[in-house]
Amino acid sequence: MQVREVVASTNWTDVFATNAGAIYQCDAENCWYIDFAGKVARFDYRCLMKLRKAVNNIDIEGLLLDNTKSPDLEIIFICACDDTYVLTLTEIIKFKELLQGTFVMLDLNHIIYNRLYRVAV
Amino acid sequence: MKDIIRIKSLLSTEIETVLNQQIKKEATSSSIYLAMASWCDRNGFDNSADYFFKQAEEERQHQLKFYKYVLDMGGTAISPEVTNIKIEYNSFREVFEDALDQEISVTESIKNIAGRCYKEQDFVTLEFLNWFFKEQREEEYKARRALELFEIIGEQGTGNWEIDKHVGKIHYSSEA
Repeated sequence: MQVREVVASTNWTDVFATNAGAIYQCDAENCWYIDFAGKVARFDYRCLMKLRKAVNNIDIEGLLLDNTKSPDLEIIFICACDDTYVLTLTEIIKFKELLQGTFVMLDLNHIIYNRLYRVAV
Repeated sequence: MKDIIRIKSLLSTEIETVLNQQIKKEATSSSIYLAMASWCDRNGFDNSADYFFKQAEEERQHQLKFYKYVLDMGGTAISPEVTNIKIEYNSFREVFEDALDQEISVTESIKNIAGRCYKEQDFVTLEFLNWFFKEQREEEYKARRALELFEIIGEQGTGNWEIDKHVGKIHYSSEA
C-alpha cells in the first residue's frame, strides 16, 4: 500500500467541524481531508460520495434496537479508497452529523459560486 | 473554495439516483418483453413473438441511453439487477394487457423524473428527457392498438390467429 504522509497544510479550507471531527477541502488537489476517529484521511470526489452513501445506509435505529450480544461496531469500507473506518454506534452518529453538515456547506458554496461568478442576472 | 462537486458532475445526487432507478426500470421492461416473446413463441404466435423481441431490444436501447447520459454528465451509472420476471401468462390477451401496463408505468416514471428536474431547475436533464416523452407516445400507441385488436377482431374461432397476423403491422406515423 502506498504510504502517504499527511501534513496539515495552509491550503486547506475548513468546510465543517464538530466536537468530534472536521472536514477540510484542498483546492490544489481537488479533494477533502477528513479528520475523524484519530486519523486524517484523504477523499477524492468519488470516494466522498461513496462514503456519504455508506454512512447514510447504516440503519442506526436498527442498531439501537438490536438487543443481541453482538458489539455495536460497524465497518465502513469504501471500495477503491485507502481508508476504512471501524466505528461504534455513537461514533457513527457523530460521523453522520459531520458529513451532513459538510454537504450542507458544500451546497451553500455551490449556491454562492453560482450567484457570484456564474449567473449573469 | 472551489465548487468541486459541480466541477465533477452536472447531476445532483437526487437526479442521479432517480436516473439509475429508471435504468433499472428500462432493463426490467426489456426482460419482461423478452419473457413475452418467449411465451408467444411457445404458444405459436410467431408475429407477436417477433414484435416483443423488437420491443425488448428497444427497451434495452432506452436503458443504454439513460446509462450513457448519467456517465457523460459525470455521474455513476449502476448496472441493474433484474429479477422476478413473470414467464407464464393465462391468455394471449393478458400478454398485451401487461405490455400496455408496462408502457404506462414507464411513461409515469419518466414524468416523475421530469417533475423533479423542474423542482431542481435541471433543464439539461429535462431536455434529455424530451426524446423519451416522444418515444413513449409511440410505445403507448402501439400497445393500445394491439390490445384494441382483441376487441375489433374478437377471440372466437381463428380470432387469435388473425390478431397475431395484425400485431406486426401496427405502425405509428404521427406528424404531431
